[in-house]
Amino acid sequence: MLNFVSSAIFWPTYILAQEEAAAEGFNWPSLLNQALNGIGIVGILLLTALGLGITFGVMRIINLAHGEFIMLGAYFAFVMQEFFNLDLLLTIPFAFLGTAIIGAFTEITIIRRLYGRPLETLLATWGLSIVLQGVVKLIFTAQLKYVKAPPYLSGNLSLLNDASGTPVIAISYYRMFIIAMALALLGLTMFLFYGTSWGRNIRAVTQNRDMAKCLGVNTQFVDLVTFSYGCGLAGVAGAVISALKSVAPPMGQDYLVDAWMVVVTGGVDKLVGVLAGSFLIGEANAVIAFMLNDPLARVIVLAAVIVLIRYRPEGLFTVQKRA
Amino acid sequence: MTDSVMGLRQSTVPTKLLLIGGIGLLIFIILPFVLGDFQISLLAKLLLFGSLAISLDLVWGFTGILSFAHGVFFTLGGYAMAYYLKLNLSAANNTYGGELPDFMVWNGLEVLPWFIAPLKYFPIAVIAMIAVPALFAFIIGTFIFRSKVSGVYITIITLAISSALTTFFVSLQAYTGGTNGITDVSDLSFFGTPIPLTGIYFIIVAFTALVLGFSFWLTQSNFGLILRSINENEKRIEYLGYDVARFKIFIWTLSAAMAGIAGGLFVPLNKFISPVYLAVAFGTQVVIWVAIGGRGTLVGPLIAAVLLGQIQNSAEKVTQDWQLVVGVLLLVVVLFIPNGLMSLLPKQLSLSELTKPGPVSRESSASSGFVNAQVFDWATPCSQLIHVCAKTSVNLVKSTLSLFNINASGKTGRAKNSSISSIRRKRKR
Repeated sequence: MLNFVSSAIFWPTYILAQEEAAAEGFNWPSLLNQALNGIGIVGILLLTALGLGITFGVMRIINLAHGEFIMLGAYFAFVMQEFFNLDLLLTIPFAFLGTAIIGAFTEITIIRRLYGRPLETLLATWGLSIVLQGVVKLIFTAQLKYVKAPPYLSGNLSLLNDASGTPVIAISYYRMFIIAMALALLGLTMFLFYGTSWGRNIRAVTQNRDMAKCLGVNTQFVDLVTFSYGCGLAGVAGAVISALKSVAPPMGQDYLVDAWMVVVTGGVDKLVGVLAGSFLIGEANAVIAFMLNDPLARVIVLAAVIVLIRYRPEGLFTVQKRA
Repeated sequence: MTDSVMGLRQSTVPTKLLLIGGIGLLIFIILPFVLGDFQISLLAKLLLFGSLAISLDLVWGFTGILSFAHGVFFTLGGYAMAYYLKLNLSAANNTYGGELPDFMVWNGLEVLPWFIAPLKYFPIAVIAMIAVPALFAFIIGTFIFRSKVSGVYITIITLAISSALTTFFVSLQAYTGGTNGITDVSDLSFFGTPIPLTGIYFIIVAFTALVLGFSFWLTQSNFGLILRSINENEKRIEYLGYDVARFKIFIWTLSAAMAGIAGGLFVPLNKFISPVYLAVAFGTQVVIWVAIGGRGTLVGPLIAAVLLGQIQNSAEKVTQDWQLVVGVLLLVVVLFIPNGLMSLLPKQLSLSELTKPGPVSRESSASSGFVNAQVFDWATPCSQLIHVCAKTSVNLVKSTLSLFNINASGKTGRAKNSSISSIRRKRKR
């Protein structure tokens, strides 16, 4: 009767994706393989959490609609590929722009009204996520959509072959692309934040909004641009991920909790924390899954994150400030 | 603080409130004779969701802890009851004719696990239904609230708990039935005779009334005043010497127990329980009921849960996109009606107005007393019953140290202002 079922059970796709790596007994190649798989997870986590690292980490906006921006990015990629027959890589700028524009609209209509009220922001963005899911479902129906990965990114790179020539340790080109993409975006974002005057403005606004205003920074505009940029990054993540799994309205939910865990683990002040957080969570997930099983790995990692929040709510990699 | 006398509100019976409550209860008692079976079972289900929303309101609306994990407590209680009903399925109705529930047979279990076996007995199942969620909440609460973790992080922790437990329950297929949960349970029976739907409905109506009444009484007591003060200014309450964490843990555990009972009553009605109710989506649904109905109003969340459910039921025949409407409604409420739909009601119908006990002279309503509410001091709320003694003690209190200025109307806003102003007055001295 109640319509929870459709989006109720969140099975992270990357966990399903690594099921093929089940291993018999303890052998080093399969552990290495699993670690490489973990690197793949790290790439996805980094990509999905980077946008949140900006909207929550830097701007302190509790954005529960982050997963839906990822979903929107995936749909932008789908639309561009379906109707204009674009290569997936070429759809990425459109996904970025599209989600950034929707993000800007969100900032103006919702987020701006709720600055300084975190719990209200949380509720409003949850409402927004339901609305976005509903609207996408209205337009595209709940049917699964598929986005094709570019042919030159298919296949595996085998690092170690056994005697008969079958690869023992391999990593797919697409996963390598995801990691490269994530690292490049992280680098770009860090450059924007720490190397440009715009980034200095953002940091000034987050450190002391009133003072920045006094010094002539247009804080409203800075907020708008930063939030849109964070949403745009989520859109890129969505476009890149869209080739890994089918595209559907509730897909964003899969990434929301994980992205949150990454940002909270890594620490909220420095963007490097996102990298550290995704590395820790991704690898821990992969290694524990190798030793035990996938769902248990997820439970253990989530429990570890809860314990971490309890003792270090500011994250692992934040320098303690003197109050 | 040690020589304080029990501080008491002037509590006269709020006649208007009792009248409205009585009429409401009467309507719910008459309804089953008017409506069909489907409507009754829907209404009963929505009343349980309403009770769940009330239990969240205690924690969120009054104490300020936003939790997405109340669906978890609900479901834990539900599983306890579901095991009981499943284990009492007669051998003829069981798919495999044996003692063992069908999902355990499918998953290759041969003996009933020791931790599930005792749930065959009704008293143990009932205790588990209350104790398991409460204990779980107590452990989490002790863990979270005795730390510097603040508002939003607590919410994220509850999100993680809900997500982790969903995965956990889905993965333990042999013990929990996996994604399907526990289905095809037996009817709840009373000494061998199965209770009909109307019977279950009446049990649920009674439970809901009890939850509402109890929550109301609790929040109107001194204990409730402390809770509201924690919501308004936690630091100040801490500096005044109250153990804030203990209050939080207590109300958190209590609310989890209430959610657990609601979940337990849900199973005989719904005939199944599954990890769907553990998931974040259900947890947020509860939050949405409270937000839309109005935080800190108790009745609001109940009405919101029942109304939204009813509207959804009729809307789903027309459109499949009911969730979209809920999302828009939530956005509108958060942005434009932050106190929920209850705040749109005319003043005369608001809770604070209704709780006003008949005409009380200004003199006695302005009585100030030290709030002597300890977490495990059950005497404090109970003392309202012996308010004959109160009059004398209030007079005593008047002359003693006054920290809080409690007025008999129980108005949040006024209580807050007056408590702050009384503290200011004290400082000036």
